[in-house]
Amino acid sequence: MSAVRRWNRTSTIVLIVLTLHALMVIFPFVWMIYSTFKTNKEFMRSVWSFPTSLNFDAYIGAWSGGALGSYAVNSLIIMAGATIITVLVSTLAGYALAIYRPRWMPAVELSLTAAMAIPAYVALVPLVVMLRTAGLLDTHLGVILPTAAFNVPVSIFIMQAFFNTLPRELFDAGRVDGASEWMIFRVIALPIARPAMFTVGIVNMIWVWNDFLFPVVFINNPARKTLPVGLTDFVGEHVTNYPVMLAAILMAAIAPLILFIFFERQITAALIGGAVKE
Amino acid sequence: MSTDIGLAKRHNRATLLFLAPALIFVCAFVAYPVVYAGWLSMFEWDGASDPVFVGAGNFLKLAADPVFWASLGRNLLVALSAIVFQVFLALAIAYCLVRIVPAFSRIFLFFYLVPVMVSEICIGLLWRFMYNPYFGLVNAALKAVGLDSLKRGWLGESETAFLAVVVVMSFTYLGLYVLLFTAAVRSVPESVYEAAELDGAGDLRKFFSITVPMVWDAVRANSLLAIIGSLKTFSLVFVLTNGGPSHASEVVSTYLYKMGFASFQMGYAATIGFVQMALTALAAWVVFRFLRRKGDT
Repeated sequence: MSAVRRWNRTSTIVLIVLTLHALMVIFPFVWMIYSTFKTNKEFMRSVWSFPTSLNFDAYIGAWSGGALGSYAVNSLIIMAGATIITVLVSTLAGYALAIYRPRWMPAVELSLTAAMAIPAYVALVPLVVMLRTAGLLDTHLGVILPTAAFNVPVSIFIMQAFFNTLPRELFDAGRVDGASEWMIFRVIALPIARPAMFTVGIVNMIWVWNDFLFPVVFINNPARKTLPVGLTDFVGEHVTNYPVMLAAILMAAIAPLILFIFFERQITAALIGGAVKE
Repeated sequence: MSTDIGLAKRHNRATLLFLAPALIFVCAFVAYPVVYAGWLSMFEWDGASDPVFVGAGNFLKLAADPVFWASLGRNLLVALSAIVFQVFLALAIAYCLVRIVPAFSRIFLFFYLVPVMVSEICIGLLWRFMYNPYFGLVNAALKAVGLDSLKRGWLGESETAFLAVVVVMSFTYLGLYVLLFTAAVRSVPESVYEAAELDGAGDLRKFFSITVPMVWDAVRANSLLAIIGSLKTFSLVFVLTNGGPSHASEVVSTYLYKMGFASFQMGYAATIGFVQMALTALAAWVVFRFLRRKGDT
């Protein structure tokens, strides 16, 4: 988009400053990765040096006992449940918001925008009471439902932004043929919406996987804890072996990073789409 | 005409049906709990025995609670620093990426976005190493440049704990705003810059006279986003300091968590959340007004 710019002294200075700054931002992650290949002895001798040889003991140590694996399974279940609900629910609503414009629609939009601004912790105590009454405290479903609900508003706006880009004639054609509104959605809108639904799904997977507040409050049973919550326990129990601790942190961080590496374009598009709503 | 009305009716019904699942979810798990929090604020309750009605008691207690007001003040400081060190810094970085070193913009954006993707718990745990009083990199760096006297246990001392947390936040969320501003800066038409270049404007001049005014809507939206995010902040504070030492880095969310789930004052915790939400709404409204340019509707 920008025209070719001649490289000058400003460019060099900017490049150097940005490189230094980006290295500062990224350093903790780089350090985490190379430190996991050290032995604890090496680590204690020099915390910041590179490993002298590739050593996978830290990963074996972090994985043994099976605690992290079971946390990861819990995270996966909650991630899958909340993401599927959010994607389905917000595709329907995003479609309605883009296609139909009854007079009361701005009020719905405003309410959803307000819901987006509400901090989750405001609902914390009431949600505990509600989940306990429903017998859902300490269950996966008890985390899935409120997590999905809090991610629905922003996901709706991402879907709405997508449906807004489609030409209206696409749907009018179906109407002329006398198709029901549901048929128009299912046959015309849903197939083209698949990439957008996928995009919303990816960002929701990352959000849910990283979520901490709801799982830490709603789940006490160690067998049902999610990875970020379990990780804080794990780290507390392994304060004596730093590389094992770092390998555990890396295992919790790696899933979203892999998603980001593979779906960078979709994720950045979704983040922009969700934020320009205002 | 009659078919139009029929169509409108049909559309109204379809709209409701399409919206229903989303609205049910949001009402049940967002709106209803918020109202319920207002109701619970009128009770003293340990979460197990019968709640005792205290009327406005919790609100009076909150009004006189110095820890709550100090926590709220810290949330506002977080918001302020987010606007300066995340939003405005990101705008400057986005300008550099798009206008000065476009060939490298993709790789830089990738690096800046890594902390946005990773769980705040992981980031907090990593930064505990950086701040470690014995072998932490921050102290090592200070020693390297001869500032030994500044070495300290950053997260463990009440003078520095909050500052240390805010620094981590700035590094963590910056990337999101760099991404959003990159998109905004790209949308400024090239011709505007070309005209300025003919007049001999340098990068600094172009940044302040063209980019900033042209993307002001994005500045406003992103500032709002940063403020809302700052009032929501929980995980990083929780894992770095848990609000300590002795409330020195407490924010509203960690205070609510402690009140509700460590000292089991559930009614009081509900009050904290409810009041915080009311204040959030007020703040959002004020800022939206404040950042509105003259002539805007």
